[in-house]
Amino acid sequence: MTQQLTTWTAALATLAIMTFLFAGDNKVFRFAQHVFVGVAAGYGVALASSSAVRVGWTPMVTKGQWGYLVPMVLGLMLYARFVKGFAYLSRTPMAFLVGLGASLSMKGIATDFAAQIKATILPLNTVNNVILVLGTASVLVYFLFTVKRHPVVNGVSTFGKWVLMAAFGAAFGNAVQGRISLFVGTLQFLLRDWLHLIG
Amino acid sequence: MEALQRLDRRWLYAALILVILLPLVKPLGIPLRPRSWTVQAFEAIEAAGPGDAVLLSLDYQVSGAPDIHPQTEAIIRRLMEKGCRVILVAFVDQGAQFAIDLARKWEARGKKYGTDIVVLGFAPGVEAAISAFARDVAAVFPRDVRGNPISELPAMKGIKTARDFKVIGDLATGIPGPAEWIRQVKTAFPEVSLVGNVVTVMGPQTLPYVQSGQLAGCMIGLRGAAEYEVLAKQPGQAVAAMDAQSMGHLMIILYIILGNLAYLATRRKKGSRA
Repeated sequence: MTQQLTTWTAALATLAIMTFLFAGDNKVFRFAQHVFVGVAAGYGVALASSSAVRVGWTPMVTKGQWGYLVPMVLGLMLYARFVKGFAYLSRTPMAFLVGLGASLSMKGIATDFAAQIKATILPLNTVNNVILVLGTASVLVYFLFTVKRHPVVNGVSTFGKWVLMAAFGAAFGNAVQGRISLFVGTLQFLLRDWLHLIG
Repeated sequence: MEALQRLDRRWLYAALILVILLPLVKPLGIPLRPRSWTVQAFEAIEAAGPGDAVLLSLDYQVSGAPDIHPQTEAIIRRLMEKGCRVILVAFVDQGAQFAIDLARKWEARGKKYGTDIVVLGFAPGVEAAISAFARDVAAVFPRDVRGNPISELPAMKGIKTARDFKVIGDLATGIPGPAEWIRQVKTAFPEVSLVGNVVTVMGPQTLPYVQSGQLAGCMIGLRGAAEYEVLAKQPGQAVAAMDAQSMGHLMIILYIILGNLAYLATRRKKGSRA
């Protein structure tokens, strides 16, 4: 019974969202959209708070691991920005978060920069390798804005531009494919789980 | 051709829905050939044998689920068949609910929670949480979602860091995704076999990591799930969806061609008037 109720709710909410295609922005669509946003936000808050209790609060009060008090107090200080006169208190945890984010991202120098450059140093013995090496080099030349425009540089730069266009085309193709996938999956849900028309 | 410019777009939507709907009801059987990166992902996951622990991080939201969830279903089906231990985790809040539902589903099919499958739950903090999890699983998840201490779960036996998983699959719709897992896990544990499972839109930005060897393989969207099902010889809902997807693509290509022809015709007419 609970499962049926869940399926019917999901199916009706799906159809409500789909009304946008044929009726534009309408009350049914807006209702479903607002419910979705509210449920998603509520779910996120509930899950994050239960995680804070599980990982921070429980070890603190049951095992005396008072070290967790520091991140919990810092976390609470973030909310001080909503209290007039105490907003400055939120700057300390914010600074901590910015520093943490920056330091975690530093690993990207190894994974996104060095490793990716290394991956383009290839023997030119296959068509794929040639396309990869020449494509990468020419796109880099395209972004050289302070070099005197020699005809050779212009030619390589133009080739780089076409490589970029091909990449954008591939990205657009994937975007279309992704949207169709989402729609196919949604129709499968409606036909299989709700209407039982397909196996 | 100019009439196309004035065509009510609702006719286009209706035609597209019809073209996608029909193959779902009556499949056409269009052949599907797995791509190299899916084969690599399949082989990486196949390396896990009976009793091996495989971590799947369900970092996706409801909005992208139709594109990525069939991958999760296909991988778990194969891992369960092989007798692997499946550990589910989420660094995106909504991913945890999918994990809880999957565990219930496999329990109903006779698998034992805590032995065959475990849901650790959701940890907020994105990259920081992934980094902490990779170095000390129990510090981030001292208990699973059902409140069991993970030290008491047979499925978690011998699991201390990310290194202890035979394979890690990150199923993502955005951030965190494979790039974050590579940054926080591969840098600390280069020997970890990491597979990137992404929604279709993320495909082009994820494939360079396969080419560089940072990912053991990659599965992209619903098609990736279908290719995996073909390789695992377990055709399921993703394979069934492929005909509909192909027909949808043909329709979009037709729309693009017609749209451009209509645009050119209008421009030529305006040019001749001038």
